[in-house]
Amino acid sequence: MSNLEPIIKLAGVTKSFGAVQVLKGIDLHVSEGEVLVVIGASGSGKSTVLRIMSGLETADSGQVWVNSVPLHDPRRAREIRGHVGMVFQQFNLFPHLTALGNVTLALLKVRKLSAEVAKKKALAVLDRVGLAEKAGNYPSQLSGGQQQRVAIARALAVEPTIMFFDEATSALDPELVGEVTSVMRSLADEGMTMVVVTHEMSFARKTADRVVFMDQGIIAEQGPPEQLFVRPQNDRTKQFLQRVLEV
Amino acid sequence: MNFIVVLASFPQLLEGLLITLALSAASIVGSTLLGLLAATLRVSRVPIGSQIARIYVEVFRGSPLLITLLFVYFGSAYAGYHMNIFAAAVVGISVYQGAYIAEIIRAGIESVPPGQWEASKILGLSNSQTFVSVVLPQTGKIVLPPLIGQYIALIKDTSIAFVIGLAELVRQGQAIIDRVGQPLAVYVTIAALYFIICYPLSRWVRGLEKRSQPA
Ligand SMILES: Nc1ncnc2c1ncn2[C@@H]1O[C@H](COP(=O)(O)OP(=O)(O)OP(=O)(O)O)[C@@H](O)[C@H]1O
Ligand SMILES: [Mg+2]
Repeated sequence: MSNLEPIIKLAGVTKSFGAVQVLKGIDLHVSEGEVLVVIGASGSGKSTVLRIMSGLETADSGQVWVNSVPLHDPRRAREIRGHVGMVFQQFNLFPHLTALGNVTLALLKVRKLSAEVAKKKALAVLDRVGLAEKAGNYPSQLSGGQQQRVAIARALAVEPTIMFFDEATSALDPELVGEVTSVMRSLADEGMTMVVVTHEMSFARKTADRVVFMDQGIIAEQGPPEQLFVRPQNDRTKQFLQRVLEV
Repeated sequence: MNFIVVLASFPQLLEGLLITLALSAASIVGSTLLGLLAATLRVSRVPIGSQIARIYVEVFRGSPLLITLLFVYFGSAYAGYHMNIFAAAVVGISVYQGAYIAEIIRAGIESVPPGQWEASKILGLSNSQTFVSVVLPQTGKIVLPPLIGQYIALIKDTSIAFVIGLAELVRQGQAIIDRVGQPLAVYVTIAALYFIICYPLSRWVRGLEKRSQPA
């Protein structure tokens, strides 16, 4: 695949839950190595877009290509598994496994690595998020920020081509946000393709290549952060930014 | 109440007790395996399998253990297959208790948050890998207290095997009464023996429940 070909392509994507149409036609391209930040009010459909791109939900209509896998094709959608990473607001760590166990599980069960190789690899990834010395701790013995960094390590261990973050810092105490965003920023610096839903506007400003503002199931506006934050064109974007930047 | 008479017949009671213990142990294993199988089928949403599991649970929760036991014992004889009494008791109790245990395990499985399935799915684990490596281990801790509670009920229910002629604790007691009288002393002794088995288990449940309460 050429570098110019987008690694994520959404065309005319819609999604309803019951009678409520949550996505009303999303068109979106993400290039390899790009850091895309998605912002928008609660209920605007940010998580739903992310879940469709990661294969957790299927679109009702439209096309979804991620890493050359057509996710709109139910026969092929599962090919995406293990090739993208997702970091959740609630961490979703496996509570019965240590940090090391969390990171090695997929290496052992999916990649079929030997215990020794998996451990070595997992420790290297844990080291990358600054938690090698916590490898033996269970999630309940870690702070929220540490838990989220383990979750990032767990996702990175399978060497995904794209990382999705759904409000990865929203459940954290304010003083713990920084340790997670700095890991995210270093990933971005290393060239990882990232789609990040966040309320951390400072992260969006500093790290995003492009910011997408979602409003009631559509992409209302998008552009580089300096444009979207400084000179928003859309009235809804202006209102939203006023509201979030006030607090 | 003359306990001296009972004491003289104590070896006979112990024989019954051993059979009660063996029946309990075998039925605990049998009902747990059956319950686990039924619960797994039910949450798997495999079309026919989950229907069968649902019907199994409904049928046996809706009929008395006594009938289940008689049905297994006499039904198998009627079908030309003569089961030994102990085996019939194990099968009857396992099938009956398995229905309750299936529901306990199913509730445990369903209490594992969907985020655990989602995280596993994205990592590339198959549904069955997720079930075995992620969901079941978490279920263990949740289901242990109600499971032990069910085992206590099972142990006490083994006395129903009396009716198909199994020489378990109550039936041995009855034999002693038939021979030497003293029904009250015998019944009190039997009750005490059941209590000695069950009380530690219920203490254990209470301990587990206290520990799992949110701090
Ligand atoms: N599984 C579901 N079943 C029913 N409704 C759903 C489901 N998932 C999302 N919704 C609804 O879809 C709408 C969009 O949800 P989504 O989670 O995508 O919004 P969001 O932009 O991520 O919001 P937030 O900032 O609160 O996370 C909401 O109204 C939500 O209630
Ligand atoms: Mg959301």
